[in-house]
Amino acid sequence: MKKIQPYVFILPSLLLTLALGVYPIAWALRYMFYDYAGYGTATYVGLDNFSRLMRDAEYWNSVKNTFIYAGGKLILTLPLSLVLAVILNKAFRGRQLLRAIYFLPTIISASVMSIVFFIIFNAYNGMANQFLMKYHLISSPINWLGADYAMLTTILIAVWGAVGNYMLLFLAGLQGIPNDLYEAASLDGANASQKLFKITIPMLGPVLQMIVMYAITVALKGYESIMVFTGGGPYGKTDVMYLYVFKQFFPISADTASLQRFGYGSAVGFASAVIVGVVTAAYFYFSRKMDKIY
Amino acid sequence: MTSAKMAALLPKTILWLFLLVTAFLMIFPVALTLLGSFKTNLEVTTGATIFPKVWQFVNYSTAWKAANFSRFTWNSTFVSAATTIGTLLVTTMAAYAIDRANFIGKRFYVVLQASTLFITIGAVVLRPQFDMMIGLGLQKSLWGVVIILISAHASIFFMLIGFFRGIPRDLDEAAFIDGCNFYSVFWRIVLPLLTPALGVCGLFVFRGAWNEYILPLVFTMTRPELQTLTVGLAGLRYSIGSASETQLMLAGACLSILPMLIVYIFANKSFMQVSAGAVKG
Repeated sequence: MKKIQPYVFILPSLLLTLALGVYPIAWALRYMFYDYAGYGTATYVGLDNFSRLMRDAEYWNSVKNTFIYAGGKLILTLPLSLVLAVILNKAFRGRQLLRAIYFLPTIISASVMSIVFFIIFNAYNGMANQFLMKYHLISSPINWLGADYAMLTTILIAVWGAVGNYMLLFLAGLQGIPNDLYEAASLDGANASQKLFKITIPMLGPVLQMIVMYAITVALKGYESIMVFTGGGPYGKTDVMYLYVFKQFFPISADTASLQRFGYGSAVGFASAVIVGVVTAAYFYFSRKMDKIY
Repeated sequence: MTSAKMAALLPKTILWLFLLVTAFLMIFPVALTLLGSFKTNLEVTTGATIFPKVWQFVNYSTAWKAANFSRFTWNSTFVSAATTIGTLLVTTMAAYAIDRANFIGKRFYVVLQASTLFITIGAVVLRPQFDMMIGLGLQKSLWGVVIILISAHASIFFMLIGFFRGIPRDLDEAAFIDGCNFYSVFWRIVLPLLTPALGVCGLFVFRGAWNEYILPLVFTMTRPELQTLTVGLAGLRYSIGSASETQLMLAGACLSILPMLIVYIFANKSFMQVSAGAVKG
């Protein structure tokens, strides 16, 4: 009797995880070898889906965009949030309020804010252009969502939504650094940037590594706000790989027809997961090497 | 003022300027949304003003009734509440067994949960999940969405494990001596002591479910009456005449933002505590 009790307690969790977490992955691992449109019979095609994937220019374009998007987002988000965290780690008046303000974007739905940003950055009647024109900062409307600027705008919005979260993670890590180190450094006449590069960043070490690794995977996998904001357009300029996966399975808006390529979509999903895995592992390997140099 | 004092003041001014400009950039889009929801459509699309000339409260009643936002709000509330209760129940039970009992397969369970955190193949999983809900006849209601949201509970499980460690085991042992068993210790000792942690985790789950977009989108593509706030709002963009209804979209966005914002104003420390703990734990 006593032996069964713990199993009763984990059973609901275990069943849900196996049925809705593990089974769908097994499903994908099977159908990536099939030609399957969602109805009718699925035919086994071996590695056809993967050879097609290698030739799929649209997919590799989305992979390229994913790296531009993730790279841009990380290069802006991580230093900014680290600097904010370092500043807000000191006690001063208004610190709590500033923390709450920087964290504010993370409580709001990414999809809802994407709609709002669409209204703001819309080229024809968006608020951004209205204000810029009113104060004569620009003479003609900037096409924020056009081919030239769409990726930049998308990245800036992603940064807006992410900074507060990483600031908080860095703050949690900073709490582990003993204050004596900074006091000793001050006595020795170190300035703020010396303290940042010689104490804070090395001492954050493993925590920093974990946060950056987490940030990399999140940035590579993100597609929700892009889907709402640009839908991958214009001309696939902001199409990222997980958005491409989504498009294989579901229509992106009510008025576009779905292609419904389940077999091929599974292969694309698997390939994308491998790409994320390789990038993360590479980062982990090289950041370990960097650790040894220090 | 001496030049030494000036030299000390300059970096401080730059620092504050940086902090305040960043804070402004964070608040501005949210403020534009809130203020824009009270403007006329013409003001939103051409006005270039910060504050509305005349506050158009009518936007909210139009959105609520004509644009069906009463329905969306109810659906969002249902999904979030049911997901929160379900997730907390499933995860506290599991975390209790993992933290307080030893049994065969315990390690397997923990590794399984950890791996679901790291492996994602994107939207692929939605298809078999959707088919499974059709098999169970749950695609006609929002229960399918709720169950799938509950199934993604690994991060909450690991957060709770951290909280369980804070409850001293002596209490369990004392309760066992007084005649409690594995079940009654859970209900009478552990759960009451866990209440603050449940509040914090509940907030985290509720926020996630309230803001979820892709899952309810996929499930309600052919059933507009089941759409949540996020899906309904995004749908407005594609509906006919949406170009002329910008103010309604902003009012709808506010209906989604405001409940979270109000809770955040009162409980921002809890929000931040749990998000920081998510990685530390």
